[in-house]
Amino acid sequence: MLRLFCSGAMFLLLIMPVPALAHEGSGTGGFIGGFSHPLLGPDHIVAMVAVGLWGAFLGAPAIWTLPIVFPLVMAGGGVLGIIGFGLPGAEIGIAVSAIALGLMVALAARPPIFVAALLVGAFAVFHGHAHGAELPPGSDAVAYSAGFVIATGLLHLTGISFGLLARWPAGRIAVRLAGIVIAVVGAAFLSKAV
Amino acid sequence: MSRLLQAFAEGLLNPILVPAHALALCGLGLFIGQQASRAPAVLSFTAGLAGGLTAIALAVGPTPSRIVLLADAALIAGLVASAWAPSRPAGWLFAAIAGAAIALDSPPQAPTIAQGNATLVGTGVGASALLLLVSACAALATRRWQQLGLRIVGSWIAASAILVLAVMLR
Repeated sequence: MLRLFCSGAMFLLLIMPVPALAHEGSGTGGFIGGFSHPLLGPDHIVAMVAVGLWGAFLGAPAIWTLPIVFPLVMAGGGVLGIIGFGLPGAEIGIAVSAIALGLMVALAARPPIFVAALLVGAFAVFHGHAHGAELPPGSDAVAYSAGFVIATGLLHLTGISFGLLARWPAGRIAVRLAGIVIAVVGAAFLSKAV
Repeated sequence: MSRLLQAFAEGLLNPILVPAHALALCGLGLFIGQQASRAPAVLSFTAGLAGGLTAIALAVGPTPSRIVLLADAALIAGLVASAWAPSRPAGWLFAAIAGAAIALDSPPQAPTIAQGNATLVGTGVGASALLLLVSACAALATRRWQQLGLRIVGSWIAASAILVLAVMLR
């Protein structure tokens, strides 16, 4: 069953047209531009969902600590991108974040909360850098920033909602399978980013 | 009279239509709503707002009010996200700074002094109303999951404010 699922996921990935750089930028400013930015990057989507999934899987306090830590640290990464600080391997870091977080969910890893927060925070820097570096010039910075922060938060909530299925045995399997899919998607992006 | 009313309405909507003001007011509202004693912080905000509006009416020159406002918003929303309550006077100070900064960042674009003053009054009323609304909603969040939701929203506001500050200061 698991093998079949993974094979299916791999097949979908192979036929899916994936851009070399997932964060293409929406090219528009304002709230809609910012809101759509994380949603246009599939690698970003899976990593954000993984944060929520893992938080839900770990339960309290991780279920709310991780979605709080992520945007705050992401803002730090965004500042680096905005001021033009070059972060080597940012796209690789984003892909690795999907792999690592997906594996954490798949393996049902339960590290101490500070380790989970550190891991999520470290990856948030790469995601924030990508958003900050691609902030369209002349856009309404407040609306754009609020848009992409809210979109990121909603992706976390999506992951949390799905992760709450882990309360039931069958749901636990589904959540762990989702972790495998996320890790596979991350691996696909890594292979394109390297 | 209708022009004065129109100017008042423009001021009234100013805190909602200017994203930086709305962001700061939402952050401050969440912060105040989660405090045990809310009235002093609201009064501090109102005093700061009144002081700033008076300064604008007296034709004070340009100030770095937007930067101060966003820094204050990031700090306050960060406090909400971390669920860390500073000393009460510090909270009052943050509220007063937010009020003054919003006022100083709202110079009216009006052809006459009367219309300008009406806009300023509208700004004061609008900002106070939005703050009271958000803080009242936040005060109603008494359940555990509601308070956690407020903290998450606080982290979003803090992150947005930090990013905008970076854009402005680069």
